[in-house]
Amino acid sequence: MVVGIRIHGRGGQGAVTASRLLATAAYYDGKFSQAIPMYGTERRGAPVTAYVRVDDVRVRERELVHTPEIVMVLDPLLSTRQTMADDMAEGGLLLLNAAYPPEEVKTGGNIRVATVNATNIALETLRRPITNTAILGAFAKAVGWPKLESIEKAIRKQFSGRIADMNVEAIKRSYDECSEVIPAPVKIAGESEAIAVGGYGVLKDVSSWRVFQPVIDMDKCTGCKNCWIYCPETAIKWTDENKPEIEWRKCKGCGICVNECPVGAIEFKRVEIKNE
Amino acid sequence: MTGNKAAATAVKLARVEVLSAFPVTPQTTITQYLSEFAANGEIKGEFVNAEGELSTQVIVQAASRAGARTFVCTSGPGQLYMHHPMHSTSSSRLPVVMATVHRGNKSMQPDHTDLMSQTWTGWIQLYCENNQEILDTHLMAYKIAEDKRVRLPVAIGYDGYVLSYTAEPVEVPSQKSVDDWLPPYEYQSILPKDYDPATGGRGFGGGGRDPQQGWITHHEALLNALPVIKEINEDFGKVFGRKYGNGLTETYKTEGAEAVMVAMGSLAGTARAAIDNLQADGKPIGLIKLKCYQPFAVEDFKEYGKKFKAIGMIDRNVCLGHGGAGYRLIRNSLYDMDERPKVLQFHAGLAGKEVRVGDFERVGEKILKAAKGDKVSQVEWV
Ligand code: SF4
Ligand code: SF4
Repeated sequence: MVVGIRIHGRGGQGAVTASRLLATAAYYDGKFSQAIPMYGTERRGAPVTAYVRVDDVRVRERELVHTPEIVMVLDPLLSTRQTMADDMAEGGLLLLNAAYPPEEVKTGGNIRVATVNATNIALETLRRPITNTAILGAFAKAVGWPKLESIEKAIRKQFSGRIADMNVEAIKRSYDECSEVIPAPVKIAGESEAIAVGGYGVLKDVSSWRVFQPVIDMDKCTGCKNCWIYCPETAIKWTDENKPEIEWRKCKGCGICVNECPVGAIEFKRVEIKNE
Repeated sequence: MTGNKAAATAVKLARVEVLSAFPVTPQTTITQYLSEFAANGEIKGEFVNAEGELSTQVIVQAASRAGARTFVCTSGPGQLYMHHPMHSTSSSRLPVVMATVHRGNKSMQPDHTDLMSQTWTGWIQLYCENNQEILDTHLMAYKIAEDKRVRLPVAIGYDGYVLSYTAEPVEVPSQKSVDDWLPPYEYQSILPKDYDPATGGRGFGGGGRDPQQGWITHHEALLNALPVIKEINEDFGKVFGRKYGNGLTETYKTEGAEAVMVAMGSLAGTARAAIDNLQADGKPIGLIKLKCYQPFAVEDFKEYGKKFKAIGMIDRNVCLGHGGAGYRLIRNSLYDMDERPKVLQFHAGLAGKEVRVGDFERVGEKILKAAKGDKVSQVEWV
């Protein structure tokens, strides 16, 4: 039987790579598979969707997966959104990148849920919040396939050397750290609110891109304006006290200011997404 | 692998000597793969960067004239920009192979209008259903283009995004098996002994000959290519274990069918799934996949015209003010028959509109109605 999978992520998290690794791993397991990316205008932070079909026979249809049996979410903020469960098959599995256990998942419906803290795993294994491989191990655990060896083989085909080793470590950890699969605690699908993911001018809001945020120690700050000059988003305002002030909706958390401050007055602090 | 990776891999296997491409979505990644292959020595040939598609076509044309095996690729607007030198490539009977990763003329999304608007340049046009077929068709294309009985450029069309960026299993033949099957391009002067200079080049008549001779020879060359395409497809099947119908058209589950739908490119895959579902419901309808659009397999369709009561052509194109390209050719092929089947027109998937299996199930039901003699509308936009 054909199994349809939908993957949600944000530009930069590797959703398309995740779909290809998954399809390749399923192929190594002896299945036929297909990985369909859905490209918009590609940009860091913008929501990205990819689809995978896995079947015992060669997949011929080319339409998107409209009622996925499995949905996998690479982004912790998207993970809090009800839309992720839209159009899922009855009893389908929703695997979320989240820092909380499945019992606390608020996404509702006649579905099953599991969580894994993929951002943490990615930061610890890859030193970057690229969560695609850090969630694939959990997929194998929660779904029961593909084999972990098959995912490893797919990773080693895609990456080489140290990068491959780090990604393999990420899938192994995520396999071990995946939660139990439980029926969704909330049975009725709730309302969904959109997330701000970009925009221009006064509408611009890239705050949801941040995995880390800059925190300025005003006592250390000498008012040299380096951060103000280098911030690519013009997110740093200059105050009457001759000090920097961050406009949070414009700050994407790139860390350039942290790097450029000559006196180390800016600290980069992890923002963990809660499920409120 | 993705469709674009399949194309680039085939080009590498074919040991292409001169490549030129200008990146354009959704063809871009072929250009990336090829420049990587050329940079790391996997392709020994020359990758020539150019400032636009017009130049890429002129570059491969010149290289082909000089005796090199060549490759060029493009999409949508790039294809249109390349139009002018495409005429001289084909008029000069140069075996250039080109991939057109479909992007329609009215959007970024795929339909066949980019390549179909090149119909009058007189290239051979082959369309692909899946990524395996993309790889295989490129290999066949070199053999067809370089065959001394053909000597025409070949364009390979496949749907952008739907195939170009979708990854699926593709069997890659060994370099040795490809080398054995596709020997190096044997250099021939563009004016071989048996080739009348008056008919080559731009088709200018000379020495008191018919000035139309260039067109006549070119047209005949395309018609004469039909049996060669069939033969090479057959031979490819013997060696690699895969072939695509008779090379021009393919029938799928047509035994006992009263009617057929005709589809091209990736829509043929969707149609297969629809036919399976319809037949599981006891509906007597099959599929004809149209692989070779130019030259057109008139004889094949005459045969189908005898067998089926209704034929529904699904065109991922429209020739504005005329109708679907495939539809007109099929009806034209059947005109001389004493008893003609009903031929219906469907337009589907233009500007990348998603086509679902259910859409083609409805198309199938309608064609069957027409086969029964019920009155149905002639033209439908799915
Ligand atoms: S983290 Fe980047 S965007 Fe945010 S204030 Fe610093 S430089 Fe600007
Ligand atoms: S770069 Fe550092 S010291 Fe200079 S203004 Fe910014 S925070 Fe203050």
